[in-house]
Amino acid sequence: MSEIDVSDIQGFSLKGYNFPCARYLLLELLHHEAARDFVKALLPVITTGERWDIDKKPMSTVNLAFTHTGLVQLQLPMVSLLSFPVEFQQGMKARGDILYDTGKNSPKHWDPVWKEGRVHAWLAVNARTAEALEERCAAMQQLMTETGGARLLQGQDAGAIYLNGRPSAKEHFGYTDGFGNPDFKGAERVCVPGQGKLTGDGRWEALATGEFLLGYADEAGELPVAPIPHLLGRNGTFMVYRKLHQNVATFRDYLDAQGKLYGGGKEKLAAKFVGRWRDGTPIELSPDGPEASIVADNNRNTDFTYGGDPAGARCPIGAHLRRVHPRDAFGFNGGLVNRRRIMRRGLPYGEFVPEGQPVRDEDERGIIFMALNASIFRQFEFVQQQWVEYGNDSHQGNDKEPLVGNHDGTGKFMVQGTADPKNPPFLCGGLPQFVELRGGDYFFIPSLTALAMIATGTVDPR
Amino acid sequence: MSNQSGQVYGLTILSPIIEDDRLDICHSMELRWYLGHLPRDHKSPFAQISSTYLARLVVMDDVVYVGAPACEEHLKSHYLVFETNFDWDLETYLTRLARETPEFVDAVWKHCVGYPGVSDIAAFIAYMKKCQVETTFFFADVNNRTVQKSLEALRTQSALARFIAKHQGQSPAEVQREFGRLLHAIAHAPPPIPGGDESDRMPQENRPHE
Amino acid sequence: MIREARQHTITKMTNINGKAYAMNAITPMKPWKTPILKLAFFVLGAVKPLQKNLKDLSFIHFARWVVIRRNQFPRLSDRQPREELRYDYLLFFSNFNGTWNQYIDAFSAVLSQGLDLIWRWSEKYPGSRPVTGFKRYISLVQFDTDYYYNAYPRAATNDVKAALRVQDAVDQFARASQSLSPAEFEKAWLEFLVRVQSDLGSTGVAPVGT
Repeated sequence: MSEIDVSDIQGFSLKGYNFPCARYLLLELLHHEAARDFVKALLPVITTGERWDIDKKPMSTVNLAFTHTGLVQLQLPMVSLLSFPVEFQQGMKARGDILYDTGKNSPKHWDPVWKEGRVHAWLAVNARTAEALEERCAAMQQLMTETGGARLLQGQDAGAIYLNGRPSAKEHFGYTDGFGNPDFKGAERVCVPGQGKLTGDGRWEALATGEFLLGYADEAGELPVAPIPHLLGRNGTFMVYRKLHQNVATFRDYLDAQGKLYGGGKEKLAAKFVGRWRDGTPIELSPDGPEASIVADNNRNTDFTYGGDPAGARCPIGAHLRRVHPRDAFGFNGGLVNRRRIMRRGLPYGEFVPEGQPVRDEDERGIIFMALNASIFRQFEFVQQQWVEYGNDSHQGNDKEPLVGNHDGTGKFMVQGTADPKNPPFLCGGLPQFVELRGGDYFFIPSLTALAMIATGTVDPR
Repeated sequence: MSNQSGQVYGLTILSPIIEDDRLDICHSMELRWYLGHLPRDHKSPFAQISSTYLARLVVMDDVVYVGAPACEEHLKSHYLVFETNFDWDLETYLTRLARETPEFVDAVWKHCVGYPGVSDIAAFIAYMKKCQVETTFFFADVNNRTVQKSLEALRTQSALARFIAKHQGQSPAEVQREFGRLLHAIAHAPPPIPGGDESDRMPQENRPHE
Repeated sequence: MIREARQHTITKMTNINGKAYAMNAITPMKPWKTPILKLAFFVLGAVKPLQKNLKDLSFIHFARWVVIRRNQFPRLSDRQPREELRYDYLLFFSNFNGTWNQYIDAFSAVLSQGLDLIWRWSEKYPGSRPVTGFKRYISLVQFDTDYYYNAYPRAATNDVKAALRVQDAVDQFARASQSLSPAEFEKAWLEFLVRVQSDLGSTGVAPVGT
């Protein structure tokens, strides 16, 4: 078991803060000396992974990550820059062929700030209140001005959707999100059944630390590719940031129309798309309807396998959850799955419109999707390319994931069923594109030690 | 017999390539040039020898040096590797190659030592067998249906998916009638053409998006 | 248009045809180890459960191993120089689905012992775990295909197997279906759908190789 030093790891890498407000400051770094001063000025306020005492929770957090061009701008030594994994050096825009970022998802449709490729740094502020958010962001702007080290290109707001005056875990399509982030060794978290990997005797165990942090052994017993020197990479991780626009009107129309034709009704069809009812109940555990008591219990709400449902009659074989986290569905004791996990942090952005009220696709709303992993190529890119945009591993041929797949209007989603008229086989055809990519990039989230080295220009690659 | 798995035969042939120092362009290079321009889809000669599942031709220049302490050594000739997987038996396959795609066979094997041409089929078969190397272990995932049957099945599969999408929710009588029409169309469709983009779809389908 | 451009790039890559990848590898073996390898293959062939993992992985259309003893390279003429080699050679030809990285990752994760049993007799083989060293070795011993033909480029082996199941179901259902009353047909149609519902994935273009 690896002992990890939580004070050296940025908090964002280790846990979801569960704060309802956020702003991701997308920065351009200026002259390298000023930029380093800016990083130095940030060091004392960067939130680490240390546990907070109950009454000492901060009102806001600060975390910092860089694109490869950002690290170039900071003038890290050439040898270090070239030692980063290839996909991180290329950046997400150049990887479009692999990720199926084509058609409506291609960079020519991205927000200008991403299309132009000038984002060097991601400075994330998460806060408990809107006031705390503004206060912290103002402080960040002050540091930028004082050091002259960075310029704000855009602040991307994101935050929990409020329902009945309270922050919820809902996203814009109405699903409850935030379950099932992977457990890994060394993280100070109780291992929740369903989140780690399955052992041979059906228990859930934490994954190797090296799947999510650099400098530690991964599931294959190796150290994942990390930059040199060792201290630059250690305790750092990689983040995939994707701004996913949601076409809520199209989704609601489609679900309404198909729901009328489907024997189980609209809500059940919505559940079949994802593998959870919209309240979060896993459909494997409760195939006939949502069950609030399961959702409320962390020991149950992600504790299920697909072994008892090989035909997909409860959770369709091509459903979102079953594709991105196959659990035991591929056999081989998880050997094909355990190195393909990602840690998700994400928040919705844009105004929420309740069901039944008029809504337009063009309005700015969606989700800021962030995935953390030690190897972007082996983890995120693989899941995106092979399991979301393609279906061979789940024996669904070229069929894509119904909700987030890059659809051209001719694709289909098969809901497997039984002879029960409330759970019939049903084919959803002509899938429209519900989610569109509006930009993003690959980031490196350094440890505190690495940030100090970057700030003082003491990255020494041997 | 280790060359065979079910009804699939796995043929491996290593034909030494003629070495001639006097040539400006050696046989290996010419062969590579020819192979680089040979169609790989339904216009491939192997589409015509329609019992072929997957086939490859490789100019093997040399063995590999894996590094010290292994010894470095080299082949004195280049070899043309022909690896192919097809239905049923070797003699029929070789005969078909000679009879149905003689220009292709000539164009490739004229670069190889001892090639007798295709006009004498027996001599050609004897030559190929002399170049054949025994498969030590052969794995075939699907070994109990012919290429034709597999292609027809792929066609049925895509036609059925489209049918279900189109007729979902209609009355049983309508579905029954239309299904009868589909069965008729499938039964009367011309044999599928292997190797191309249309190999797995019904002939009358139009796909403007793809 | 982007899709077309990508398709164009893919058809230019000679190791790939549609969803299939043609891998060729050659490794040297000290001659005294060859009989041991042949014994290992004999065991693999005879003990069916050892092949089960390979079938369950469902990545491979066809694969074969060929041992060429150092004096067994085909010689077709006296003018062809005789090979003088110290090593025997193990040739490996695979027709698999998926990307190169995905394929090797899967084998290393799941069939590690089987791989080691076959390749440990080859010089400088590092073992299939850790996977990074294994990939480096494969890159060293892999050589490229010059021409690759695929009878069903849009279908992976999973697609073919699914299609065959669908065809069987259609054949069986077809016989009965047209003579049923609409009410009987409705029930039978539902049963038929339940039978084929997991096997209707579409065929098409493979993801970009990585």
